[in-house]
This record gives sequence, C-alpha cells and structure tokens, in this order.
Amino acid sequence: MNTKMRKFADASMEKIASMENRLSGVLRPIKPRKEFVHEVAQRFQTRTQTAFVDRVAEWHLVAMLTAGFISMAVFLAVLGRALMTLHKKKPTE
Amino acid sequence: MPESEEQETLQLAAQGDLEAFGILYGKYVERIFNYVYYRTGNVHDAEDLTARVFYRALHHIHTYTDRGVPFSAWLYRIAHNLVANWHRDRSRHQEIPLSDAPTLHYKGEPPEMALMQTQERDALLRLIRHLPSERQHLLILKFVEHMSNSEIGETMGRSEGAVKSLYHRTLLALRDEMEGSDLEE
Repeated sequence: MNTKMRKFADASMEKIASMENRLSGVLRPIKPRKEFVHEVAQRFQTRTQTAFVDRVAEWHLVAMLTAGFISMAVFLAVLGRALMTLHKKKPTE
Repeated sequence: MPESEEQETLQLAAQGDLEAFGILYGKYVERIFNYVYYRTGNVHDAEDLTARVFYRALHHIHTYTDRGVPFSAWLYRIAHNLVANWHRDRSRHQEIPLSDAPTLHYKGEPPEMALMQTQERDALLRLIRHLPSERQHLLILKFVEHMSNSEIGETMGRSEGAVKSLYHRTLLALRDEMEGSDLEE
C-alpha cells in the first residue's frame, strides 16, 4: 500500500515538475511600452490639475452665491427700513 | 523601496500628494500590466485596463487603510474587479492575436520548431485563461512575479499552506487539461 502511495506521489511530483517547466517558459514578465507608462503618468497630472481647476471654479460659484444672498438680504433690510421710516413720517407731515 | 518608506509614500499619496502617487505608480505599473495582460490576452486591453486601475486607485487612495496587507494586494483587487467586468462585457474570451503576443526568441532553432513552440505556448495560455481567476492570479504571481508562497499568501489573503495546496492542485488540473488536448507530449 505504502509503495503504491509513494508511486502515486512520485507521479504527481513528476507531473508538477513537468508543468512548472512548461509554465516557466510561457509565463514571462513583459515590459509595458515606455510611451504608455509615460502617457498615463502625464494624464494623472493633467487630470488632477483639471480637478483642481474645477474645485476652484466650484468654490468661486459658492462664494458668489453667498455674497449675492447677503447683498440681497442687506438691500431688502435697508429698503424695508426706508419704507418704514417714510411710512412713520407721513402722518406728522 | 523599504517597507517603512513605502508606508510614508502611501500616507503622502493618500493625502493627495501626486508625486508620491507617481512613485507608487512607477513601482507597480509593470506588475499590474503583467497581471492584466495574462488575464486578458492582448496588449491593447491590458494597457487600457492598467491605466484604469491606476485612475481608480488615484480616485480612491484617500480611503485606503493599511490592514497589514501589501499595497499591491489593493491594486490587484482593483485590477481583478476591472478584469472581471471586462470579461463580463464580452460574450466570449478573446484569443491572443499572434501579432500581440510578446516575441520570444528561440535561438538556433529551425523556424518550424519555433512555430510549433509558439502554437504550443498559445494553446497553454488559452488553457490558463480558462482556469478560475484565483488560480490564474496564483500562476501569474508565481511565474511572472517569482513570488514565494508566503508573499503570494500575503497578497491573496491566504495562508502559505493554502497557497501551496492550491498551487499543486492548479498544476495537476492544468496537466489533466493538457492530457485531453494536443499539447500532451
């Protein structure tokens, strides 16, 4: 029984060794094209710059909207106050 | 690059430092390219998917947390997902066009012999690409990256013993597949 098992194990090891030989001939490291590697690296920079510009543009929009809202509120407050003053003054005249 | 240095680079990259991300890109681009190339079988898609892996990594690097596994494992996970989507989008596997296959030099051999070897090589690659993705990954790490079982275990999130066992089963299965094909000697 032991001899049979040993033979089976030996056969498996032989098969594995033969497959390893074949695979080491087939699966080899491949170098990607230099232009490709460089181009992708460049695109990271461009993309991030674009994203930064987008973020700045977004920040500007938010600031303008906030400023517009505050100006409108101040304008309405002043207008309201002016109207109230005018309204109060009328009966005395 | 020593591990501590890589950790520092990773932290900087996670904070949005592009130069740090560029260093990581330079270190891992070849590995990811090889992985994707052997999973897809053609250079064009390998380039496209490799670029996408790094765009996705750049987009999500701020969420990266060190859980004691190598950074490459995170990149391989992204690559695995993109390759899986790529396969899903295609109804059938694409074979390697001969013009796309990397050229191997068989010095001093007659052309017929070289042609036979190329055909044998293509057939074996086809068999490999029909293996489950985990087994393909294991073979790529073993033969292309020349990683040890322990390194493969770290990358794949398995124990060294499990990797060894999976490796043997994979080779025997591949051998059995070959016995049913013309590749058998």
